[in-house]
Amino acid sequence: MKKRTPPRDTGASLEEIQRLMTRAVTRPLTSGERSQRAWADGSRTADVAASFIKPNDLLTSFERVQIYNQQYWWRILGSFQEDFRGLRAVLGERRFDRLAVAYLEAHGSTSWSLRNLGKLLPAFLENHPALTAPHTALALDMARVEWARIVAFDDPELPPLDPATLARKTPATIRLRLQPYITLLALAHPVDALLRKLRQSTLETGSASNAVAASRRRRPVLLRAKPEPTPLHLAIHRVDLSVYFKRLEPEAFILLTALNAGASLEGACASAFAKSPTGAEEAAAKVREWFATWMELGWLAKG
Amino acid sequence: MSATRFTGHADYGVGIGLRIPHYQHILDRRPGVDWFEIISENYMLDGGRPLAVLDRILERYRVVQHGVSMYFGNFARPNRDHLKKLKALTHRTRTPWVSDHLCWGSVDGRYTHDLLPMPYTWEAVEKTARNIREVQDFLELPVAVENVSSYAEFHASEMSEWEFLNEVVERADCGILLDVNNIYVSSQNHTFDPLDYVNAVPAARVAQIHIAGHTRHERYILDTHDHPVIPPVWKLYKRAIERCGRTATLLEWDDRIPSFDEVHREALKATKYLPDEKANAAA
Repeated sequence: MKKRTPPRDTGASLEEIQRLMTRAVTRPLTSGERSQRAWADGSRTADVAASFIKPNDLLTSFERVQIYNQQYWWRILGSFQEDFRGLRAVLGERRFDRLAVAYLEAHGSTSWSLRNLGKLLPAFLENHPALTAPHTALALDMARVEWARIVAFDDPELPPLDPATLARKTPATIRLRLQPYITLLALAHPVDALLRKLRQSTLETGSASNAVAASRRRRPVLLRAKPEPTPLHLAIHRVDLSVYFKRLEPEAFILLTALNAGASLEGACASAFAKSPTGAEEAAAKVREWFATWMELGWLAKG
Repeated sequence: MSATRFTGHADYGVGIGLRIPHYQHILDRRPGVDWFEIISENYMLDGGRPLAVLDRILERYRVVQHGVSMYFGNFARPNRDHLKKLKALTHRTRTPWVSDHLCWGSVDGRYTHDLLPMPYTWEAVEKTARNIREVQDFLELPVAVENVSSYAEFHASEMSEWEFLNEVVERADCGILLDVNNIYVSSQNHTFDPLDYVNAVPAARVAQIHIAGHTRHERYILDTHDHPVIPPVWKLYKRAIERCGRTATLLEWDDRIPSFDEVHREALKATKYLPDEKANAAA
């Protein structure tokens, strides 16, 4: 094909157009899921849209931009809902939606994958307790566990520790780490049990595609009776590519946390039982039993 | 033509998009499918089930990578981390070419996860072609760019969509993934004749064709990939094949996904229009 000669450029730059369109597309929708009538500076959104988008016989400039505005929010809210169904059940649909919009306005996607959309949610909830009150502690527990599930699903796996490595070294020199896909959490509520219940009533899906959503999906499940606080220590991990929860004794939790932070095996064991009434002999037996399980599950790798 | 430099000289027939609800059926029944298209971003991971399933699929099937967030049309240059992950995946899949969309979708590292339409300007031609060349050079693989469905047009545009496509692929020296459903959707939303578009595309650069279904609303059509292909889209496909010859063809079905067999049957309707490999070689 013969190349055409570009005429002199006279219009808005590509950067200017893309910045303006991005602002239009990412502005929160109204409660009726329409584009806002007023622009950020108080002018009419319709005038802003008309300044860069052509109308045609079928749709106004405003209506054309609105399609993209709705698609943006339906897509990211849909993905966010998929990832945090438990939190949605805790808060109820309307409060969850308000929280989701507030969070996603503050922390829009910075990744080519929607998988990372909720990464900053636990920290956001800690900083904005009013969005989840009076269930802030439960909501925070739920968000932490639900993010940990995403990590457990597809974070990398290091070569599991060879048992011979343990046998060759003394406890003072052994340094180990947990598989990157494992998250350890100290929780105030039995979120693992709640999620198991919720999973029974919903299907798991979720992947990127280039199709657009015909509408926003709604599968509301409300957890009306909130569970009583019950402190527990949880490992969110995977076995044979499936995600599981495993409750840990407090000392085991401290031991694993210390190992993962770089402590030697000897130091981690000492800190695990520092405040425990468990006797030395019983402690040693527990550690042996825990390590047998953790090695079998492939949790440990070289530090 | 199927096997050209834009397909890495590989000849591909009719394939379907690899989707999660079909994983088990494919792994258990091992149906005869010429090839699968994967959404690259779903597998640009470091571990877990998606990659494990992909590896099992790769043991038996040919896979071609299709991306949704490279955003060739961004005013900024491509994201290097994205490119590195994508390249690592191409080594795993041995994809003969990679495709993504002729669109933009992120600004300053903030992603919309949408396929936003381009203003058809000369500046956009230059920047988009620059980005495609950069991706092609980095990946060391042929790149095919796909025309998107759109719902808006910019005052700033200085040419038609197909003129824009042609200018970009010529300057980038890349292939085209011609989505005839997208052409139909945009033609209805912007009131142009879709055959004008199909007839204007440089046939020798068409590496692959997409077919899909969509959803008609009162005043516009949405590209939802949740229905069978409609007759006017098959008509465009027929015309595209008349112009391009045998071409790798892929059915996209992303929502309200029916059984594997139903999706595969729908895809195989394309074989009615495709010349066989021998006829293609003789031509």
